[in-house]
Amino acid sequence: MSAARLASASAATAHQRQWFADLREEAADGGPLALVNADAPQEIFRAMGIPYVVNQWWSSIVTAKRRAQDYLGLLRERGYPDDSEQYSSIPLASAFDPDPANAPWGGLPRPTIVLAETTGDASRKIFDIWDTQPGVSFYPLESAAENDVPARWWELMPRDWERAVGSDRLDLMTGELEGLIRFLEQTTGRVFSETRFAEVMALVNEQQEWNRRTRDLIARARPCPLPVNDSIPSVMIPQWHRGTPWARDAARAFHDEVAERVSTGTSVCPQERARLMWIGRGLWFDLDFYRRFEESHGAVFVWSMYLAIAADGYLRYGGDPLRALAARFAAFSDQLYTPPWSAEWYVKEARHHGVDGVVHLVSEDARGSYFTTRALEAAGIPVLELHADNVDARSADGDALTRTVGDWLDRHVLAGD
Amino acid sequence: MSAALARLTSHGTDRRAAADAFRTRHHGGVIGYVGADVPVEYLTAAGLLPLRLSGDPGTPSTDGDRYLGTGLDPAARSVLTRLLAGDFGPLDGIVVSRDSEASLRLFYALRELRRVDPALALPPVHLVDVLHLPHRTTTRYVRAKLGQLRATVETWAGRSIDDRALADAIGAHDRLRELLTRISALRRSQPARLTGTQTLTVVAATTALPVERATALLEELLTEADHLPEHEGLRVFLTGSPHDTGHVYTALEDSGLLVVGEDHDWGDLLSLRRTAAPTEAALAERYQYNGPSAPRASIRARAAHTRRAARECGAQALVSYARVHDDAPGWDYPAQREATGLPSVLLSRQPYGALGDEAAEALAGLVRTTQPTGPRARAEAAR
Ligand code: SF4
Ligand code: SF4
Repeated sequence: MSAARLASASAATAHQRQWFADLREEAADGGPLALVNADAPQEIFRAMGIPYVVNQWWSSIVTAKRRAQDYLGLLRERGYPDDSEQYSSIPLASAFDPDPANAPWGGLPRPTIVLAETTGDASRKIFDIWDTQPGVSFYPLESAAENDVPARWWELMPRDWERAVGSDRLDLMTGELEGLIRFLEQTTGRVFSETRFAEVMALVNEQQEWNRRTRDLIARARPCPLPVNDSIPSVMIPQWHRGTPWARDAARAFHDEVAERVSTGTSVCPQERARLMWIGRGLWFDLDFYRRFEESHGAVFVWSMYLAIAADGYLRYGGDPLRALAARFAAFSDQLYTPPWSAEWYVKEARHHGVDGVVHLVSEDARGSYFTTRALEAAGIPVLELHADNVDARSADGDALTRTVGDWLDRHVLAGD
Repeated sequence: MSAALARLTSHGTDRRAAADAFRTRHHGGVIGYVGADVPVEYLTAAGLLPLRLSGDPGTPSTDGDRYLGTGLDPAARSVLTRLLAGDFGPLDGIVVSRDSEASLRLFYALRELRRVDPALALPPVHLVDVLHLPHRTTTRYVRAKLGQLRATVETWAGRSIDDRALADAIGAHDRLRELLTRISALRRSQPARLTGTQTLTVVAATTALPVERATALLEELLTEADHLPEHEGLRVFLTGSPHDTGHVYTALEDSGLLVVGEDHDWGDLLSLRRTAAPTEAALAERYQYNGPSAPRASIRARAAHTRRAARECGAQALVSYARVHDDAPGWDYPAQREATGLPSVLLSRQPYGALGDEAAEALAGLVRTTQPTGPRARAEAAR
């Protein structure tokens, strides 16, 4: 039985359209609007009723509408790099668009506040430029790092986050968030209610608990009930809306849909012989790639980082809610990219999903990749590293890539079958 | 050549000689460190020698590339390669600062290599996470990180650092910064008494020598200042990537430029800020407000600093040199160019320790189009 598109994905996409239209109207009426980085504490804006757009989401819309090159050109015209941090910088070019009416989705309304962590060497500079646009203020947050961390973060995070993240980082971010709240109170006139904020935090936990159940369902299901790509909108769109009843219910609807598939025995590939994990950014130019080995090898990609990080990366219970929010973001990207956290987590997820092999896309900007591959191999899991320069849309020879993976499956994954 | 300058040049280039001497003659511990955000005062106060780790553009960074990937600043990949090869001699510890993304990743790689591959026998590593936003919350955090470093250094040294020893070390390093500022004035003067390359090497020497020895040599060099030869060239202010070796400076000055100032922390930026009081609290603020460096400061702060510094140097042109995979300088450049109002070039995606072909052409263009000044040029123009 082959799987149709998920109803939860279609519902999420439709919701996103409506939400953006409403947001454009609200902004046109002169209300405040925030542009925030994906790994920034959006929950504060949610609680204060300040609409926000996620920088990386807008970037993905511009890219999907094939406008990324135009937008990078607008940066180049102003003397800015077009080859650094593109995923964060593309939305900035929206501010320079000479023809905003023809921009994707009617265009990004001009934000009044931009919020980002000072990660990397360049990303804060993109927001510095936002800050020079009329009517826009940049509120920067520090991106702190710890000298020594306990390795098994996913066990500690939900309740023992103080120990996982470390008190110094939490003191810092809590202090910064207090400053942010005061700044928003003063500049928008909106109110921060502790009661409302506690509700938002509870809704986020509920939503991620559904994601966690969904992840566990997929991990245990044999054969795999849905293609790995199909889960992405069902997880990510609600993630941009986290802290609302809609988002929690959407995560639940996704779960119920997956549970239904499992109980009726729906499968991506009935003759499942090899379960695979894909680590690294998606092959956005060739999404069919993930399904190319089903018929030939009975090999199915069962794991995506989007659902897995939703399941493990967000839950924070107990303590002061603002400190708990700080604990969600003070070390967020470390969970995915910084060893030992990243390496140990991928191994744990690989085992949890019973994968037979891992295809690891190593970008040139290889954050912790060596250690991820090393840890998986040490755990006895075959890994095929693909290097981004071989997989680039312009240079990719799709057939060669297919052959490489097929070969690896024959020799290393299915050899003992 | 002045004897002091010769000594300093030799220590700026052969960076481990003083560490080897320190170890054998005084049986003292040597700590390698990465980045100008490491508060070396703690190491000095504990009787350890801080040795700033640098890369080597001439040697392939194969091991560093394997562990860090090839998408990271080649200088950091080279430092890791050299650490694994034992190029710096035996080290009793490594302190890494958060002065750039590349340094942070280098720290993570070292920490993880120690965890998963003990056979490499890497020395203990410590991250000192000095942050730079101009807020009280950040000061509090940096203060906590300095306390953490202090505890680690005490363990490494096997003795405690009392406040008195720390105050002395703060005084000694501030004195060194004071002298470095005076040395830098020698290459800014017209005519210049030191080249940019010489100045860079002298600064580098002071990050390899014990602070008292560095101070003594700088004092000696200052007394010999009047006898130093004069140097000419198109006076440029250099911005962009930091330079942990003299290769690029030599190439720039070989093409007719004279680097009269820079805003990276292997040069003028290293000695810019003093410590307001001999206390840990003041030290935290000194390092928090250290800079403004390209990877950490805002575009606005950088542009304001570059404008001021370039003017103080009497620079005639601005050159921004951005190494491949060093992402910050390209974002700073448009505002710096506007703020200084000087003729300028951006040399982007440059190889480590060298000028690309296009860069050489761009510089030749800059030299052709910019009116040289100085006595010799004036004399030539009069002729
Ligand atoms: S500076 Fe120190 S190490 Fe260098 S030659 Fe003099 S005594 Fe020896
Ligand atoms: S530089 Fe100073 S500490 Fe080092 S060997 Fe020479 S005299 Fe001793």
